[in-house]
Amino acid sequence: MSVLEIKDLYASVETNEGRKQILKGVNLTINSNETHAIMGPNGSGKSTLAYTLAGHPKYEVDSGQVFLDGVDILTMTPDERAQAGLFLAMQYPVEVPGVPMTNFLRTAKTAIDGEAPAVRQWTKDLTAAMKNLRMDPKFATRSVNEGFSGGEKKRAEVLQLELLKPKFAVLDETDSGLDVDALRIVSEGVNRAKANTGLGIMMVTHYTRILKYIKPDIVHVFADGHIVETAGPELADYLEEHGYDKYMPEGSTESAQA
Amino acid sequence: MAERKEISIPVADPTNPYAIPAAMPSSADKNPRSFSVEDFALPSRKLDDWRFTPVERLEEFASVFTPAGQVQVSVSAIDGSDVPSGVSCVSIPKSQAPAGTVSKPNDRVSAVEWNSGANAVHVHLAEDTSVPVLVRVHSESFELDSLHLVITTAANVHADIVVEHDGDARLAEGVEISTGDFSEVSTTFIHEWSDTSKHVGNHRIHVGKGATLRHSVVTLGGQTVRIRMDQDFGGEQGDLTMLGIYFAEPGEHIEHRTMVVHNQPECKSRVIYKGALSGQGAHSTWVGNALIEPTAPGTDSYELNRNLILVPGAIADSEPNLEIENGNIVGAGHASSVGRFDDEELFYLMSRGVPEKEAQKLVVAGFFNELIEEIGIPAISEHLMNTVNARLER
Repeated sequence: MSVLEIKDLYASVETNEGRKQILKGVNLTINSNETHAIMGPNGSGKSTLAYTLAGHPKYEVDSGQVFLDGVDILTMTPDERAQAGLFLAMQYPVEVPGVPMTNFLRTAKTAIDGEAPAVRQWTKDLTAAMKNLRMDPKFATRSVNEGFSGGEKKRAEVLQLELLKPKFAVLDETDSGLDVDALRIVSEGVNRAKANTGLGIMMVTHYTRILKYIKPDIVHVFADGHIVETAGPELADYLEEHGYDKYMPEGSTESAQA
Repeated sequence: MAERKEISIPVADPTNPYAIPAAMPSSADKNPRSFSVEDFALPSRKLDDWRFTPVERLEEFASVFTPAGQVQVSVSAIDGSDVPSGVSCVSIPKSQAPAGTVSKPNDRVSAVEWNSGANAVHVHLAEDTSVPVLVRVHSESFELDSLHLVITTAANVHADIVVEHDGDARLAEGVEISTGDFSEVSTTFIHEWSDTSKHVGNHRIHVGKGATLRHSVVTLGGQTVRIRMDQDFGGEQGDLTMLGIYFAEPGEHIEHRTMVVHNQPECKSRVIYKGALSGQGAHSTWVGNALIEPTAPGTDSYELNRNLILVPGAIADSEPNLEIENGNIVGAGHASSVGRFDDEELFYLMSRGVPEKEAQKLVVAGFFNELIEEIGIPAISEHLMNTVNARLER
């Protein structure tokens, strides 16, 4: 049983117009086996929260703490956070030319586990995980994310999630750019990871449609850099019907339906 | 009213718009070709060909010298076994063909090399070789030395030859390569000199009619290494690939200059050079000249140079020059870049648990991977990758 605790987190990003504070006092606790949906209008800071947790150099923490099982991860480098059990599935996975997927996966697995996986077991696991995600075996020999379609990139993210077995996964707009079939396959992968490892999930999404496949236990509305409302899954239904109007400045509207 | 002088403008043949040679002479290549040292000016930063070069470090190569004769040249199969059949290696006087038959020296240092020392090493590939031929150039002395190497192949031959340089040296090297018609040949030059060594090289290359040549240069060590490569085609449908890999560390100047001349119809050339640079005082230069002459319709040429700055403070000069004197061509492209590690790539790898150093290694391996594979000599691929990795460990 693990706990991810975000305590009064403030973070900024350097922009052309100077330093801009995006996260303004985020408080959130996620336990193993829980799925939290973080929903909110565009520009509310949802993705910033995801990247700040993973340690992206662009975002600077102003104050606050993030504890993974009592240890503050904000002082750690991104690789140390991953080794501690945090995983970020990115909205736009980065292409790394010339680095074969297999090398990368094996290097990552070795770094996370602290030892190289046994060759036979690893090959078996990799093949099975790829098959589950309906991925072409040829894909393993291609360069990391290079030339992948949007759907392939998201599958590759979930493949890593299943192989690296983190304690907590942050899914940043994992549903974006997926057709219905791909959304189902990707969601099944996330659900499998949760069933197998007791993964705690923080699912960042603008739209409600992924919630049909990955059922949240708790739904949070995120606006202006912090959580403004927390409730059960019924909150998502409300958002689907009414959008984010209630949480936005006067005069603007935004739908939560894809 | 003053009498008007008629200006004569060449008139195009309407049935062949490409028939008229360009009215302008080539500007890319005005330098003399000569065996005589006096025909060339002393290297100076003021000269276009030398403006990126720390000429003061190469002063000793600017006037004729008596070579120390310490450089050892040995020939074998790449696995160390005896020279494969069909390969001959003999010493010949420079006055004897094929020495001196592939173009002529094209700058001061190459003319000096030609006039310093009387003999050349001639390697001839008369038959297909099942394993690559290895020419090992080894030196353990910083005494000024010269080496003239002539590589020729028969027509229709399929062969690979690797020329490896290592040790301590101050070497002026001239290389002449002439491939037979319809041959398929690869020549790979590896420079792994000690970090106080100096090397000036001049490759003069002639690609036979319908022949394919893959010419690769890997420069992983040496305080000052400057290699100029000039090439032309002997007939139509020649295919030239020039690949380069280099790694410059603080205090090192690594320079490659390629001069591809399309003088025959329907030939293809690809020049791809990639380098990594690490830290203050590391300096690389790539100058890629491509000249498409009026006699070369159907030319397909492309050149590319990429530089990856690993540690700030390094300087990479990258200059593609393209001169097209024929409108009837398939393509003539170039690309050049100098960049730092991509922060997003590193973050992505690190967010998967890969430590920064390891992530950098992956990115650099990825940067060179393709090129090392394309050099196409499995026997040296692993060695090259390991050497690059060892550099990253420093």
